[in-house]
Amino acid sequence: MDDVVLATQGDAAAFERVYRAHVSRIFNLARRMAGPDAADELTQDVFVRAWQKLALFRGESSFATWLHRLAVNVIIERFRTLGTTRERFLADSEAVLEIAHATRTKHLDLSMDLQAAIEQLPHGARTVFVLHDVEGYKHEEIGSILGVSAGTSKSQLHRARQTLRVLLRKEA
Amino acid sequence: MTEQQQFGEHDHEPLGADDILSQAIGQWRDEAPAKEPWPGVAARLEPRTAPRRTHVSFTLPQLAMAASLLIAVASGMTWLAARGPAAPVDTQPTVVAQSEFTGEVEGGIVNANFADAQFNAAVTDLEQILRNERERLDPRTVLVIERNLKTIDLAIQEARMALNDDPANAYLNSHLADARRRKLDLLRQATTLASAGGN
Repeated sequence: MDDVVLATQGDAAAFERVYRAHVSRIFNLARRMAGPDAADELTQDVFVRAWQKLALFRGESSFATWLHRLAVNVIIERFRTLGTTRERFLADSEAVLEIAHATRTKHLDLSMDLQAAIEQLPHGARTVFVLHDVEGYKHEEIGSILGVSAGTSKSQLHRARQTLRVLLRKEA
Repeated sequence: MTEQQQFGEHDHEPLGADDILSQAIGQWRDEAPAKEPWPGVAARLEPRTAPRRTHVSFTLPQLAMAASLLIAVASGMTWLAARGPAAPVDTQPTVVAQSEFTGEVEGGIVNANFADAQFNAAVTDLEQILRNERERLDPRTVLVIERNLKTIDLAIQEARMALNDDPANAYLNSHLADARRRKLDLLRQATTLASAGGN
């Protein structure tokens, strides 16, 4: 029987196999969205939440898609719990370009530069950039997740990209 | 100038292959967690022997209210049925509930199931017919129809809200399907009655 079905029935060993199959993707999503310091704990939170919500998985999408969406929600909830209100979550991006002009980072390879650069973005711009450009979400989906319009997602993405390009070119 | 014009028409679309960001994302490698997260996950898992089922319970006043709503809707529909036309009306489409939507409209029969899109389309069509024919109905009939539609809409709304919290609940799903079926039945009867001139 499928491990997801067994886990739904309370089989913890099956759930561990499900965890092993998906942990890398979830950990790296958390690392990209929230940074390496928070990624371990968020990964745990995502799988604990998945265990609690497994009964609600009805197979309308693949399990990987369901888990990914759940992970995004858990990570965004964390940002908000940390006091980043929806307004501030997005409004902080207004200051992005100033951060970019004021910051100089060390010479690293391009992927390391991106990791360093993205950590300088506010949560909102960073979330939109990772979901759209790295994870392939559409603006309408991002708007739905964040509770904003697709237009807001587009302008956040523009600002995030502009900032990251400035930061990466400084390293080039 | 709109925000989009200000920031560029296309800078929210997929990145070009030669964009420095594309190259950086392409090189952004996955990493393994510094510390294995599983022990922390396992320690927080609550034992569970079967899928959790939400126990739906009602207070006595809630049950009494539900029963009276059911009686009101049933009475209204019976009353409407008793006033129904002797012969079917050929010019109005008839909604037939069935398990699968075929998308076909044949001989004035609109096939509809209870998926949201088809249900909404069928309701919209029937409501439009009812609006157009409303003046042909006795005002008391209109009152009964509207009162019953409100009752059913309330039941649909409540079922949907409950399903948001517990989407897998079989009772709630069945309750929602039943309420939607009642709404279609009521609208169908009302439009048929209106088309027959309210007689």
